[in-house]
Amino acid sequence: MIAIEAKGLGKWYRKQDIGTPTLLGALPRWLSGAKADGFWALRDINFKIHQGQTVGVIGPNGSGKSSLLGLIAQTMVPTEGTVRTTGRISALLELGAGFHPDLSGRENIYLNAAILGIAREDIRRRFDHIVDFAELHGFIDMPVKHYSSGMYVRLAFSVAVEMNPDILLIDEVLAVGDISFQTKCLDRIRLFQKKGKTILFVSHALETVEEFCSDVLLIHEGRFIMQGKPADVIFSYLKSYMVKLGLFSVEEHGTREVEMRSIRLLDATGAETSTFYTGGAMTVEIGYHAHRRIATPVFGFSIKTGNGFYVFGSNTQIAKVPIAAIEGDGRVRLRIEPLALKQGRFFLSLAVHSWDHKIQYHRQEDLHPFLIKDVSDDKGVFQLNCVWEHQPKP
Amino acid sequence: MIQTIKDVFRYWDLLWNLVARDLKTRYRGSILGFLWTILTPLFMAIIYIGFLRLLAGGRGFGIQYEDIIIGVFAWQFTVQCVNAGLNCVTGNSSLVKKVFFPRIILPLSVSVTGLVNFLLTLVVQWVLVAILLYNMKSTFLEVTTLWVPLMSLYHLLFNFSLVLLVAAANVYFRDTQHIVNLLMSAWFFMSPVMYPLSLVEGVARSHPWVAQVYLLNPMTVIITGYRAMQLPGVSFPWTATSVVGLLIPLVIMGAAYVVFQRSQRYFSDML
Repeated sequence: MIAIEAKGLGKWYRKQDIGTPTLLGALPRWLSGAKADGFWALRDINFKIHQGQTVGVIGPNGSGKSSLLGLIAQTMVPTEGTVRTTGRISALLELGAGFHPDLSGRENIYLNAAILGIAREDIRRRFDHIVDFAELHGFIDMPVKHYSSGMYVRLAFSVAVEMNPDILLIDEVLAVGDISFQTKCLDRIRLFQKKGKTILFVSHALETVEEFCSDVLLIHEGRFIMQGKPADVIFSYLKSYMVKLGLFSVEEHGTREVEMRSIRLLDATGAETSTFYTGGAMTVEIGYHAHRRIATPVFGFSIKTGNGFYVFGSNTQIAKVPIAAIEGDGRVRLRIEPLALKQGRFFLSLAVHSWDHKIQYHRQEDLHPFLIKDVSDDKGVFQLNCVWEHQPKP
Repeated sequence: MIQTIKDVFRYWDLLWNLVARDLKTRYRGSILGFLWTILTPLFMAIIYIGFLRLLAGGRGFGIQYEDIIIGVFAWQFTVQCVNAGLNCVTGNSSLVKKVFFPRIILPLSVSVTGLVNFLLTLVVQWVLVAILLYNMKSTFLEVTTLWVPLMSLYHLLFNFSLVLLVAAANVYFRDTQHIVNLLMSAWFFMSPVMYPLSLVEGVARSHPWVAQVYLLNPMTVIITGYRAMQLPGVSFPWTATSVVGLLIPLVIMGAAYVVFQRSQRYFSDML
């Protein structure tokens, strides 16, 4: 059964002037009869989401993700097209919207529940549970204006999860609270999943999206780009959009006498992927084409973290695997095993240059993102091989 | 329309929670608290009485204290609704943008809050008017005073339609609040708030059309209605125009409903 279906969905906004609308500001436009200047925040969006699916929505800031949720939640009206939903929708948007600072936590629980459409009876019955979940014992009769931001958010979330919708919309709200509260929130999401609820999840936390979603929608500049398996969509998102937006110093340059034409990241079984595991293996396969005979070329690589920290770099020269000469097509394989990197997103740069480093034939800076997943409990950036010993009496 | 009524019933909880929120928070942190609901119209009545005595000396113009008290209390009901109504959508922008619920709940809740406040002030009003009547004229409140709560429901309907209009307009143009403030002060003098209808009837003797136009003002018939119900010696001027004046709120209500429901679709775009 289809839970959400968008057909030719579009939302047009008038370009707003600074500040609030005034009569004087609108008068010239009325008199001249000019059509207001505007832009399409979303256009031509078509997708189907089946019941029970957890679908992530990703895309750069300003790509129209929140407008999409607004349209689905019916707080906005589409300019064109339709969005059809089956069942009761609740939105976990901007926690604490609707809290009144002068009311106590207790009063706000009831107010917020009414806003979210939760029956008063349900809240009364679950009241202690809500306070438990929010970890607010002893503060529940204090006006929320005196709450810390953490307490505020915990209270809001605790009420919101009492909703029992068929479709749950989540807009970037899980990035709040400390680790233990975040874990609790994610557990709640899993519970919703188990109950067979449809969840639409907007987030920039790509790892969370990858972990929770069975399907991911990618939108960019208001256009629908693709829908598919999380790993694939995230990969192509990172590759095409974050790169184009210049979030990373991505570039390609060189004389192109040798061109790296196909780059594939392979796991231990030889399948192409963008997700690897700590302690596993990673193979980088570079398919090149040399337009003329090049003697003693050097292939090199480096790995950086998402925030630009240079993790490791090496090349065939340092590794003492000299290549005598290349011409025409060929392949270079780089195998990294065991992969000592821990949890996170990394960027791979590749280069081919002359033996004396004077000529860059082709260089791809940060062009290949990949994700490392860590199943161990060790902490840090690298997996170090550790051996513990214990001697009671030296 | 029927759908809207169903929606409102479905969100009954929300309506009452918003009313409770407004009532609880309005005076929270102030020492006199809820007393302000009564003190505000009371002081205004005292100011007007003082002003009129100063202007005319003694009991000029034949204006009675009880006329002023009833007029001011009723007028305050409308003023409070309109003032709260101006910001009922714009002041809840985060809700409107983020959560789906029938938007009409917001103007409805401020109107109901106004009604609750008004009903509370009524008690004080009755005590005051009864004392004045007994001391000055040795008369009592009319039995028809019992109809006043019913009349206030009609008054509520009119206020609600005004709230719908100003709330929607203020989303689109923030000039609304300033324009409305001006209109309200003009309207105050054009309505029999601090003088009785009989004062205008005096003017109307030379210009009969004035009285006719005057009775088309819903506030005229509402306030005069309140007075006629409670005060001995005041009767409601049942004429064709006053009946039209009584019907006008219904027309405004219909128009306001259409305006609000049409414009509410784009509230989240404008906020």
